[in-house]
This record gives sequence, structure tokens and C-alpha cells, in this order.
Amino acid sequence: MSVEATDPALAATGTQEAPARRVNRSLAGRIVFCAVVAMLCLLPFVMVLVISFGEKIEGAGWVFGFDLTNYRRFFVGADWPNSTSFLYLQKLGWSLNYAVIASVLAVVTAFPFTYFLTRLSRRAQTFWLVFLLSSLSLSEVFIVMGWDILLSARSGLPMVMQETGLTDWLKDVGFFPTLRDWGLASPRNVKFKTSVLATVLTMSYLVWPYAVILLYPALSRLDPALIEAARTMGARPWTVIRTVVIPSVKLALVGSVLLLFVFLLGTYVAVTVFAAPAQQTLAVSIYESVRGSTLNAPFGAAQSVILLVTAVVLLAIGQKLSTAGGRA
Amino acid sequence: MRRLHWAASLFMGLCAVAILMPIVVVSAAALNGGRSMVFPPQDSTFDRFVEFFVSEPVWTNALGNSVLISFSSAALAVLIAWPVAYWLWRVNDPLSKLLAGLAAMPFALPPIVFGVGLGFLWAFGGALGTIWAGILSHAALFAALPLVTISIGLQSIDRAHLDAAATMGATEGVTFRTIVLPQTLPYTASGFFFALVLSFNEFIVMFFVSSSSYATVTLQIFNSLRNGFTPTMAVAAITFITVSVVAFSLVARFGDLPRLMGADTSRT
Repeated sequence: MSVEATDPALAATGTQEAPARRVNRSLAGRIVFCAVVAMLCLLPFVMVLVISFGEKIEGAGWVFGFDLTNYRRFFVGADWPNSTSFLYLQKLGWSLNYAVIASVLAVVTAFPFTYFLTRLSRRAQTFWLVFLLSSLSLSEVFIVMGWDILLSARSGLPMVMQETGLTDWLKDVGFFPTLRDWGLASPRNVKFKTSVLATVLTMSYLVWPYAVILLYPALSRLDPALIEAARTMGARPWTVIRTVVIPSVKLALVGSVLLLFVFLLGTYVAVTVFAAPAQQTLAVSIYESVRGSTLNAPFGAAQSVILLVTAVVLLAIGQKLSTAGGRA
Repeated sequence: MRRLHWAASLFMGLCAVAILMPIVVVSAAALNGGRSMVFPPQDSTFDRFVEFFVSEPVWTNALGNSVLISFSSAALAVLIAWPVAYWLWRVNDPLSKLLAGLAAMPFALPPIVFGVGLGFLWAFGGALGTIWAGILSHAALFAALPLVTISIGLQSIDRAHLDAAATMGATEGVTFRTIVLPQTLPYTASGFFFALVLSFNEFIVMFFVSSSSYATVTLQIFNSLRNGFTPTMAVAAITFITVSVVAFSLVARFGDLPRLMGADTSRT
């Protein structure tokens, strides 16, 4: 018992100190620790909020201030009331649009996968989880790189479709003009860069492992007896899923969609590479204001605040839903 | 354990293929002999690996920065998360809940906003573009991960052990060192590896915080985007995937991965 051998010595040094001083020291330690956490985790958000009310100075950066110019520019355009522009609201709209479609797509396809996963043996589950976590942590830049090769005209899917004659077949059946209307084809071949489809697919791929990880606890805690009971009473597998499984994990499904949605609001690399210039999101615009060509930090901060408020509202709704469901 | 229906197995297989597809394509592109990235690779060579790890200073510097930042920030994230998790488990008062909420906030909100905010913060502190500002930023961003894993570990401690220790007259410090710390060690290590891998791969926050004065591998890749992809980048991708697989395999080997991910432990 090495524990007993070392402990009396340490306990002795502890008692030599006056108890009051020890309490004081631990209190001071706590205050310092809280201050450090607050500085690192809260202060950045506070600064974004404060600077969003600041003013840009031509050629010299920006100063603190309190005016709502930046917010006015966001909602009705810089030149209001002479003219109105909804440019930035449109960008927010694209942010929401991509994030909604991609997160719903990810959860809908991840749900059956996760359900099957939880039916596997513990060992197989661990194997799959290592696989999923590795792909989940893979940087956005690599994923975009991979999809860029897969979708590029020179060596990706369009080339495969050309070589196998699929493109010609599409032209023969008359579906090709429809694809062009959807922005998925150039005059000669199908193209996916730039398109909404490629953007949404890549974003969905980005969060798909997250969707599995989020659904995993709820589905693995599902009582197998419940499913067994339904099966013995003669319910077909699909009926079991529809009437037993989905209702009992409904909240986890909604919660996952919301979390992935918030995560996707800030997607940057996928949108810059795959979305057409007119269909880019608020995240790209924030980047351009803070670090890019336009250099207007207060306006970038104001856009960040809008994005942040959108995220917080949605997270709060998710929280509300899950607590309401917990009581029911 | 009942076998899965063949259609279910097929569906899982298809999902795995879909996930692997871009990864395989990138990895194969690393073997390209030329400067351009084509698939399937042309006149295969391992020269790109030498370039990435040895001869090209742009990449070796970036890799050094990535390793330094991810290891330090993951260690720091664990150091931030431990007191918060312990406080929350031990006392569970409003202050500790608030602190845990604060520590989890950066991870829960869009990272681009946190990145912009950190950029402002470090600009004020005069530390924008220093490596240690990058380390602190990532520690704050990923403290949520060890916080979660350590909390799960603390909850798994058998109360009977704590009661026994208290009956035998152990002080809080002794109990902490002899019971709490050893039993939560696998969870601490898991949290460390999660933070490490995510920090290694993180892009947007580092982008705002580094302010172009240094580059990590992901930043370097993004910077080179406008010149088109080169096979050397693919080598970076392979390296990163390998690091992730090794780290998570270690977590799975030494910890209970299904439990960490929230599975019910009563069933096997």
C-alpha cells in the first residue's frame, strides 16, 4: 500500500498551513480559473457583439462606437432609405437553405444506418465507431478536396459519365436540357461545379458521421424487448420501425437536425469551392469583411452577430423541445 | 445476437463506400508523379511523401506547427476541463453549471463566429499571429470534448468506493488521488485524443487567429487552393487520416468507445 506510505507526509504538510489561508488560496485559485475560462470562452463573443456597433474608418481600420449602421446595412442595405438592398438577407437565406437541406439529408440517411449499427455486436460497433470518428474528424479542406476531384470535369464523375456514354444517353432521352435548367450541365457535358447539388452533398457528407454519433445514444438505449414484443404480435419490420422505433427517438432526430444545422451555418470551405458566386453564404461574407477584400471589421462582426443569434435561437428551440419531450 | 437482414448489411456497406470514396480518391492521387492531381494516378511515385515530410520547408514547417498546436492545445483543454468537470460532479452548484456552460459554448456555436471573436481578442492583446495564441484558442474551442468524456468517467465511479474511502478517513485530496484519478484516466485520455485529432484538423478558427503569420497543414492546404490541388496535399490527407485512425483505435483499445459515445452499458 504505497498510498498509506506517502499520504501521512502530505497530510502533515497540509495541516501545517493555517486552514483560513488555505481556504483563501483555493478561493483565489477558483476566481482566477473562472476568469481564465470566461476570458477564453466568453470574451470573444462579447467582443464580436461590441465591435458590431463600431464604425469603419477609411484606410485606418475601425473605432468603437454605438450606431446601428452595420445592422441597417445588413437588413436594408447601406444606401437606405434612398434604395433598399436585401443582398445580405439573401446570403443569410442561402446559409439557412444549404444548412437545412444538408442536415435533414444527413439525418434521414444516418438514421437507418445507426439503427442497424446498434443491432451489431459490441466489437463490430467499436470497429464502426473508430471508422466513423476518423472520417468525422477529417478536416473540411480534405473532404472538399476529395469531392472536388470526384466532381471535377477532368477526372471525376462527369468524365465517367462521358466515357460510359451516359451523357449521350441523357441527351438522347431529352433529359439533358432539364439538367441544364437545373444548372447541372454545360453545353457539352454534365457539370457539378458550381452547383447547389454539389454544395449540399459535400455539406451533408461533412456532418453525416456527426449525425450517426448523435443518434447513436438514443437508438442504442432503445429497449430490444419493445421491438421483440411488436414482432411477436405480428408487426412487419417496417411497421415496427414506423410505430415503435421512430416515435421513441423522435426527439433525438429533431435534436440532431438542429445541432447539425447550427454546425453547418458556419461552413466555409465547401461553400467557397462548390457554390456559385451569387449563391454564397453569410460565412463567406463574414470572412471577406474581416480578412478578405472588403475589410470592414465592424460589419463583419455585425454579420457574425446575426449568424450567432440565428444559431442560439435554434439551439434554444431544440433545448425547449427536448425538455418538453422529457416531461411527456 | 440476431444477424442483420442482408439488405441492412448492404445499406451499411453502401454507406461505408460513400464515406470512403473521397478519401480513397485523395489517397490514390498522392501517388501521382506529375504536379497535377488526376485519378487514377499517373506514373506512380512516393516522391510526394518525401516532399511532405522531409524536403519541402513549407510543408515541414506547417506539419511542425500542426503537431505543436494540437498536442499543446489538447493538453491545455484537458487542464481546463478537469477542474470544471470535477467541480460540476462534486458540488453541482449554479456557478459550476455556469462554468461548464461557458466551457462548452465555443464548441456548440458556429466556429466562424468564435474565430472572428478570437481574432479581435488577440488583436487587442497584441498576440494575434503568435503560436501560443493559437494554442489557447484551440484549447478553448475543444475544452468541451474532455469536459464531456471526463464527466462520463466521473459518473461511472462506484459510489461504494468513495464511501469506503470516506469511512476509512481519507481526505478529499487522498480520495482524488487514489480513486477518482485512476478510475477516470481512460476517459481523460479519450478526451485528450478527441481534442488532439480535432485540433489537428481544425481550419476556420486557426485561419482567423494565425493572421497569416504562420500556417498549419490545413491552412497551408487552403492557401494553396487557388493554385489547384497538388499531390503533396494528398500526402497530407493520408497522414491526417492515419493519425485519426491511430488515435481513435487507441481510445477504443484503452477505453470503452461505445460507452463514451453514449451506448447503454447494461447490454452487450
